[in-house]
Amino acid sequence: MDLYPLFEWLDTSLLADISKAYGGTFAVIQMFHLMGMALMGGMVLVGDLRLLNILLKDLPSEMVIENTHKWFGVGLTIMIMSGIFMSSAVAMKLYYNSMFAAKMAALATGIVFVYAIRKPLLAGDHTELNPWTLRIVAVTSIMIWFTVAASGRWIGFS
Amino acid sequence: MLNETLLSLARWLDSQSWSTQIHESIYLYSWIETTHVLSLMIFLGMLCVIDLRMLGWAFDKVPASTIANRLDKPMMIGFAIMLISGFLLYYAIPVRTTQSIWFRTKVILLILAGINAFLFRAKMQASASSWDLDPIPPKRIRVGAGLSLLLWSGVVITGRAIAYDWFDCRRELPYMMYWAAGCVDEMAAFQ
Repeated sequence: MDLYPLFEWLDTSLLADISKAYGGTFAVIQMFHLMGMALMGGMVLVGDLRLLNILLKDLPSEMVIENTHKWFGVGLTIMIMSGIFMSSAVAMKLYYNSMFAAKMAALATGIVFVYAIRKPLLAGDHTELNPWTLRIVAVTSIMIWFTVAASGRWIGFS
Repeated sequence: MLNETLLSLARWLDSQSWSTQIHESIYLYSWIETTHVLSLMIFLGMLCVIDLRMLGWAFDKVPASTIANRLDKPMMIGFAIMLISGFLLYYAIPVRTTQSIWFRTKVILLILAGINAFLFRAKMQASASSWDLDPIPPKRIRVGAGLSLLLWSGVVITGRAIAYDWFDCRRELPYMMYWAAGCVDEMAAFQ
């Protein structure tokens, strides 16, 4: 499926008009993107390092996952909203950028992983799960979100 | 006088071959910058969890001191990575960075955030026993946590802004901006 029409639409949207006309807006929104990344990344790390029994070992992992998941959603929402705005400024350039495609693939994988696998799996009592399942979920989660962040930074270099 | 000294130091760093090699390397500078940005997730991410607890917005059933003590070590590891990679980024482009208003603001905010963290920790250790289990800590603690988030957000924002050349010394700026950026030699970054 060719996404060219989507990028073309974004390139001529109102968002693009704003982001292209006011260069400073792009920079300010990009800063929110970074803050969202820090918030989201922190929640991923605290939750997954608890599943790996490295951090907050004296707290029930169910409680840690429950508390971090809510703020993960806040960070992800900030990142997606600011990300769409940033993309509108350079939409046609991003269409041809392989690192952007990699980031979007990793992001889609991450969202599906969190909401279709990680959250339902960890919703119940963790002691009923195989410890290796918890470890695999944690390592997979860290790897996916690291890929999202690293490929995102690399868009600017490629 | 201070600006001349800082610029001389920057020029000395700039004259070193390692500085040039990092700056001109195809991948090394990018990797250092990526490390610097990604370590935000460790340092600021942990800090967010601690401050959200102090604001009463997360982990409200867990003693505040437990969250602060357990996350302190990974947070400091993240800070150390940020500090080392940040120094290397400065070392790679010292002259322009020294005369950057954003870099200067970032350093000031870093110092303020450090002072706030020190005072916050002292205040917490002195009084935590009386409110440690409270879902919402006392106002003075919440103010400290809010200030911490604001100051560190400022550090991130000004850090990102260093890359933009809006207020570089070579540009036509109000005198106030030249003063704040410590512009000694307007064309130094090009020499």
